[in-house]
Amino acid sequence: MDDWKPSPLIKPFGARKKRSWYLTWKYKLTNQRALRRFCQTGAVVFLLVTVIVNIKLILDTRRAIIEANEDSEPEQDYDESLGRLEPPRRRGSGPRRVLDVEVYSSRSKVYVAVDGTTVLEDEAREQGRGIHVIILNQATGHVMAKRVFDTYSPHEDEAMVLFLNMVAPGRVLICTVKDEGSFHLKDTAKALLRSLGSQAGPALGWRDTWAFVGRKGGPVLGEKHSKSPALSSWGDPVLLKTDVPLSSAEEAECHWADTELNRRRRRFCSKVEGYGSVCSCKDPTPIEFSPDPLPDSKVLNVPVAVIAGNRPNYLYRMLRSLLSAQGVSPQMITVFIDGYYEEPMDVVALFGLRGIQHTPISIKNARVSQHYKASLTATFNLFPEAKFAVVLEEDLDIAVDFFSFLSQSIHLLEEDDSLYCISAWNDQGYEHTAEDPALLYRVETMPGLGWVLRRSLYKEELEPKWPTPEKLWDWDMWMRMPEQRQGRECIIPDVSRSYHFGIVGLNMNGYFHEAYFKKHKFNTVPGVQLRNVDSLKKDAYEVEVHRLLSEAEVLDHSKNPCEDSFLPDTEGHTYVAFIRMENDDDFTTWTQLAKCLHIWDLDVRGNHRGLWRLFRKKNHFLVVGVPASPYSMKKPPSITPIFLEPPPKEEGAPGAAEQI
Amino acid sequence: MCRINKNVILALLTLTSSAFLLFQLYYYKHYLSAKNGAGLSKSKGSRIGFDGTQWRAVKKFVMLTSSQNIPVFLIDPLILELINKNLEQVKNTSHGSTSECRFFCVPRDFTAFALQYHLWKNEEGWFRIAENMGFQCLKIESKDPRLDGIDSLSGTEIPLHYICRLASHAIHVVVFHERSGNYLWHGHLRLKGHIDRKFVPFRKLSFGRYAGAFDRPELQQITIDGLEVLIPKEPVHFLEEIPHSRFIECRYKEARAFFQQYLDDNTVEAMTFRKSAKELLQLAAKTLKKLGVRFWLSSGTCLGWYRQCNIIPYSKDVDLGIFIQDYKSDIISAFQDAGLPLKHKFGKVEDSLELSFQGKDDVKLDIFFFYEETDYMWNGGTQAKTGKKFKYLFPKFTLCWTEFVDMKVHVPCETIKYIEANYGKTWKIPVKTWDWKHSPPNVQPNGIWPISEWDEVIQLY
Repeated sequence: MDDWKPSPLIKPFGARKKRSWYLTWKYKLTNQRALRRFCQTGAVVFLLVTVIVNIKLILDTRRAIIEANEDSEPEQDYDESLGRLEPPRRRGSGPRRVLDVEVYSSRSKVYVAVDGTTVLEDEAREQGRGIHVIILNQATGHVMAKRVFDTYSPHEDEAMVLFLNMVAPGRVLICTVKDEGSFHLKDTAKALLRSLGSQAGPALGWRDTWAFVGRKGGPVLGEKHSKSPALSSWGDPVLLKTDVPLSSAEEAECHWADTELNRRRRRFCSKVEGYGSVCSCKDPTPIEFSPDPLPDSKVLNVPVAVIAGNRPNYLYRMLRSLLSAQGVSPQMITVFIDGYYEEPMDVVALFGLRGIQHTPISIKNARVSQHYKASLTATFNLFPEAKFAVVLEEDLDIAVDFFSFLSQSIHLLEEDDSLYCISAWNDQGYEHTAEDPALLYRVETMPGLGWVLRRSLYKEELEPKWPTPEKLWDWDMWMRMPEQRQGRECIIPDVSRSYHFGIVGLNMNGYFHEAYFKKHKFNTVPGVQLRNVDSLKKDAYEVEVHRLLSEAEVLDHSKNPCEDSFLPDTEGHTYVAFIRMENDDDFTTWTQLAKCLHIWDLDVRGNHRGLWRLFRKKNHFLVVGVPASPYSMKKPPSITPIFLEPPPKEEGAPGAAEQI
Repeated sequence: MCRINKNVILALLTLTSSAFLLFQLYYYKHYLSAKNGAGLSKSKGSRIGFDGTQWRAVKKFVMLTSSQNIPVFLIDPLILELINKNLEQVKNTSHGSTSECRFFCVPRDFTAFALQYHLWKNEEGWFRIAENMGFQCLKIESKDPRLDGIDSLSGTEIPLHYICRLASHAIHVVVFHERSGNYLWHGHLRLKGHIDRKFVPFRKLSFGRYAGAFDRPELQQITIDGLEVLIPKEPVHFLEEIPHSRFIECRYKEARAFFQQYLDDNTVEAMTFRKSAKELLQLAAKTLKKLGVRFWLSSGTCLGWYRQCNIIPYSKDVDLGIFIQDYKSDIISAFQDAGLPLKHKFGKVEDSLELSFQGKDDVKLDIFFFYEETDYMWNGGTQAKTGKKFKYLFPKFTLCWTEFVDMKVHVPCETIKYIEANYGKTWKIPVKTWDWKHSPPNVQPNGIWPISEWDEVIQLY
């Protein structure tokens, strides 16, 4: 009380004085009633003031306490704002409880309209043949998936069965046929259609038209079918108009525990279909994987750029494998989507990753190339301290020890200027030509498909002269050009740490994928310890190659190298063969050899100074091009290098357009 | 008798109520003092301050950050100032022995922390936990400026600020993002439509009025008022940075429009020049930083930044400005040590000083020294042949940070005025022939050097 400040509240002192004055004069003034009255009223007023002050104090203290403990109200506010961000899920619970759906099927045109909005329209010639399938959310009427299965062609019906089985029960299913959809519609698929309640589907015939609306696992809501009268003509166009009652939002959703993860899952599952058990109500597949961390990882802070287009199912598969790899750090991953597509972004959000959309500005290959440039620039901008970046594509499976592989080898990029990249992909690493997951090679070609880029290489060399949009170049072809590569090499593993699943399931170029990618070896062993990583440095590698060649047994050059018996039936031996290679660009014999070994032969890959290293029958198999290779000196004088004649020029070879 | 009784009762009542009132007044005073901070408790040396809302809010926040591994450090200017004054004492204080609340109980509306976004592993979920602890939080997000320079990328928005309120005190979390050029950046706090403008007194925030840039500070752990917090290792340095931290972004959109109109020069020569100019600028920046000399992008280099966010390929030199009061006599020798020999020196420290250094590949580094008058700034030029002096006038300007070719550098904040003074209203149109004696609209003849001084004021190497 030492620094008491006088204030208007000081009344009590005055009152006390007043009281003593009153006592002194009490008797003198007893007769003065008026004065007495005045004093009494004064006292009462004073009492009242005290009461008021008391009440005010109580209120004040109370408010302070409430303020201090206040917490429930704002939380509600926040939830509300979150709710606003979510898709307008509750629309269906409004007054409109019925969707009116129109489905049209004919030879040259199909369309589907929901409440007057066209959600599918395909009247392009020579395209979109087969069964078109659309999945609607039963509570909101939103389109959750749109697919076309060309069941005129083989295997497409299997994909359709796979897809339809993944659709959650209760969803609204719409099917319509364009042109022809029965030729390769096999019994399994027909049985599935029957189980959905369809009458005409299982009996679908050649060039019939068919439109179907039903609920998965529930009643059929409408179906129309028109038989083709003759082999050479089509069924009459059919137009199916039907009402689809909407169900309540609660019914359409699963009751997962309310966690951050499930909130992501719910948002995803209410928007899209066709991702299988991730949206299963009973036993959803996890979306967080928590793989083992890598002890002493050297790549913990290396950003990972995933380059994606509009193939959300691929992206989903890719991200699952990436997030399951040991030592992955999700916050370092950025997915770059080429185009303003929603579904890939939904997949990215499902896994809680960072996604960036790139609005395309140019066309064709140049567009991919510009997308790469923007993605790489952005990656190094977002992680300004990163010395490297890992570049992945949406159609790759990632090996469980991918990061372990990089962690063990990344220092090479820092210490050896003669390196261009580290790649997880061995172009020549097929099931029958790769063996040793601990073994690394140096190669002059740049394989891509999961690789590490050095910041300085990008920032100082590649970015400034990256091909401009009008140049229509493939970025990877451009990177392989001698002007860019400047004689530098890439480190690759014998057994690839990535798997290119790209073309699986799409019949377009399925042949190409089958021939060149399907049989690729992919490491599934976790925690492989790489052998002798430092021997991959420029000079050490030469020593290593010389050692190998010195201990290698020279094969019998009189035999046909394409024959299996060219290599003896041993295990763990090292063999060498010499082929003719007149100069650095002469790959005639090599290409023929690659062809008959069933490895990559579309261009030259995996060579190091005229030397190829691979495995045959569990033996290390070296191929040296004589006389162009500096290793030719290891050739015993008695041996004549193998020469294989190229076949006469006619090659209508497939897939020249799709070089990887 | 009855009447007297009545009076006595009244008197007694009055007495007790006055006693109550007195007691309440005493109590009320404490209540007020708690509300207004430690003003009163200080003199008493009691622990009362620890009940203050400020301290409690900070304590809860510190608990939250340590349990959720949120990488924050203290940047509140008011508290850092106090800590800085008692730095030695603070360092020596052992953990438990605090008897007074000297820092976090100081009356103020906010306590500011910086969040190092790149170290943050679990962004999800902490919001909810904060709210469960009693905080009311506001999150301010925006698009990522690091993607602005790249054509048409749109990404997930990044958080820029969090404001978490607990009772009458609020914690302001400024999100620091890493940028190319080894610095930390924080965004401008822009209140979007739906945000409650009365959530906190936004005007009183010490950060967020503008975007800002800071050197990446080293951190140290200290214990003050019983709380463990991280602070910059050199609070003085950080405090000095705050008032000059304003950051302006390059105008990437306009730059793209410019390149659409005039097309970028992608010839080998242009690329080589850009590369050498960038290296020269980096070397100059490093050298000047070591000396502690402030500089900014001037003339053609500044125009290149403002117009096209890049080095103008035909400009043939790198131009920097330095205030003459920042001049240090060892600038020349420092540049020489860095491998940049002096090419010429015009003028003298008192008048029209200009230095020029020879970089690699024929790229020149020009340093103009700026002199301040009451209502304008100027730098000088000298024609070597004739000894003629020129004066280039600029409206007064202050310095802002920006990012240019992966570096954090200064430019005049009032860039457009600066550039228009130098290049006129038509600065948007590229001009390849430029005569520095006549072309700039802000040039004035400034007499001629006396011949006796020529040896000093015109030195060519």
